[in-house]
Amino acid sequence: MENIYKPDLMEVVKVKQETGDVKRVRIRFKDPEKAKQFSFNVGQFGIFSVFGVGESVFNICCSNSHQNEYFEFCFRKVGRVTERMWDVEPGDTIGFRGPFGNSYPIKEWEGKNLVFVAGGIAMPPIRCAIQYCLENRDKYGKITIVYGARTYGDLVCRTELDEWAKYPNVDVLKTVDIAPAEEIEWDGRVDFVPTVLKDSNVSGENAIALVVGPPIMIKLSLPILSENGFKDEDIFTSLENRMKCGLGKCGRCNCGSVYVCKEGPVFTQADIKNMPDDY
Amino acid sequence: MSQIVTLEQLKQTLGAKLAAGAKVVAPVLDGEFASFKEIADVEQASFVPRICMQNSIEEFFFPKHETIFTFVRQGNDVVLNDAPDFDVEQIVVGARPCDAAALPVLDPLFAWDYDDRFYQRRRAKSTVVSFACTQSDAHCFCTAVGGSPENTHGADAILFDLGDGSFEVRAITDKGKALFDGKTTESDKVGKACDAPVVNFDVWKIADWIRANFDSPVWEQVSLRCVGCGTCAYVCPTCHCFDIVDEGSYKKGKRVKNWDSCQDAMFTMHASGHNPRDTQGKRQRQRLTHKFVIYPDKFKFYLCTGCGSCSRSCAQMFGVRPCLEALDKEVQ
Repeated sequence: MENIYKPDLMEVVKVKQETGDVKRVRIRFKDPEKAKQFSFNVGQFGIFSVFGVGESVFNICCSNSHQNEYFEFCFRKVGRVTERMWDVEPGDTIGFRGPFGNSYPIKEWEGKNLVFVAGGIAMPPIRCAIQYCLENRDKYGKITIVYGARTYGDLVCRTELDEWAKYPNVDVLKTVDIAPAEEIEWDGRVDFVPTVLKDSNVSGENAIALVVGPPIMIKLSLPILSENGFKDEDIFTSLENRMKCGLGKCGRCNCGSVYVCKEGPVFTQADIKNMPDDY
Repeated sequence: MSQIVTLEQLKQTLGAKLAAGAKVVAPVLDGEFASFKEIADVEQASFVPRICMQNSIEEFFFPKHETIFTFVRQGNDVVLNDAPDFDVEQIVVGARPCDAAALPVLDPLFAWDYDDRFYQRRRAKSTVVSFACTQSDAHCFCTAVGGSPENTHGADAILFDLGDGSFEVRAITDKGKALFDGKTTESDKVGKACDAPVVNFDVWKIADWIRANFDSPVWEQVSLRCVGCGTCAYVCPTCHCFDIVDEGSYKKGKRVKNWDSCQDAMFTMHASGHNPRDTQGKRQRQRLTHKFVIYPDKFKFYLCTGCGSCSRSCAQMFGVRPCLEALDKEVQ
């Protein structure tokens, strides 16, 4: 019987520093057989580890178009594991367990307009969906990306935002809470995400919204989406409860009888209204 | 006719198992306290039915601290070595009926989509012999969750103390039959367990109340006594929440599973500092909800066998039964 807690060995292929405290790491399986068999769906997460330090849970932050060659995750340097993860370099070996959880029903979103709303470090769990939709651009309608961070320096995927804006029928609305210094060329807004979302006037008609970010951003964004005609079952989010096993056993990520690691992390607003507020 | 085994025969049976390389777990007296321990010699064990134990038998199926794998770093490479399989026969003797009953409760959890081979191997290799209870105390409430002093759920055989240095053996499973095969004599003596503990609350109704009262202020009120030490979880035969951590250094070490407790403030703390269960009331709510709502929703069992170990061990005289009794006042 397999050891379900034992991770696969991964080689770090590339590390990109996104902000002062966020890095994006590209990894591939050391075992080519495992690489061949591996697949994941956009929105799933993995458990990544630095041996000798511990494990942390992150979303797989890229689309699955290169899933047999590599995949990526983003992390913010904030705790014991991520402090050490900060030091990994190409060629290093890290651990990976996954993919776990459900995923965005991205096939069902075909033919619809999409609104992506993200704040701060919540860009990575949305980036995978944005990448997927842009790779399959003709299958989706208008795409609106509303992304904000505290400061200019905290914007994850800052250069990618400009790349995405070049695609046809894609609006990228970026904003920062605090105005950047004058010498920085900033072509975005200085406002909070919900305000920018309100001003965008996105319509809920034949549309899907994916909202991930700090609780306050989500709380203030939801009424705006509802006013604009988004139904609860068309608003998606990805919950990020603390987890250890990812297998529905260790007993901490649940909201009532719903285990975020197995039945989530992706929920609609309609699901969340039926769950106790334990996230 | 019943089957009888004398204390001497029981010791000989276990002694033969020990000699054959089996692991034998039995109640061991340490001063005035009794706990389940692995024994090297049958004379270490105390074969007296007891309800007051320092631990449960759970740790012989799901250890407090268990290595998942070891690792060594070699340059850029890392070599992982799987923890060895549990590969010896294990006899757990002297379990309380409420200890044994925890095993079938835990089985579906460790087989839910992902098979936990650590638990499953130990379970497959073990024979559980319980003692029917000869007494109950104010903490016992097995009757409230479908148990009884002579409950055989999870046991391979149950022994009834006849008070004359012998036990009536009732084999429940093939494993239980095999253990006592040829060791017993026929008799007309029939063992009897103590009376069932009396409970005045209905867990079913309380579970409904829990389901409907997530935001009730009662949770904070009832848990004012709780200091969040987690003892209730560590003595519980069904509590199974665990942590996964690395030990050792960056160069070599191991990854282990450690028991954890939902009563610990750090249990659900996010990296951002946000904590969905930031008060003792919310943590107590999780504990009770997990036992009487979530687990039955998922696996059709209460995550509680009514053993009373939590309140027996609690420095604040709290625990599941006092909490259920407090909630019962709300139901009425």
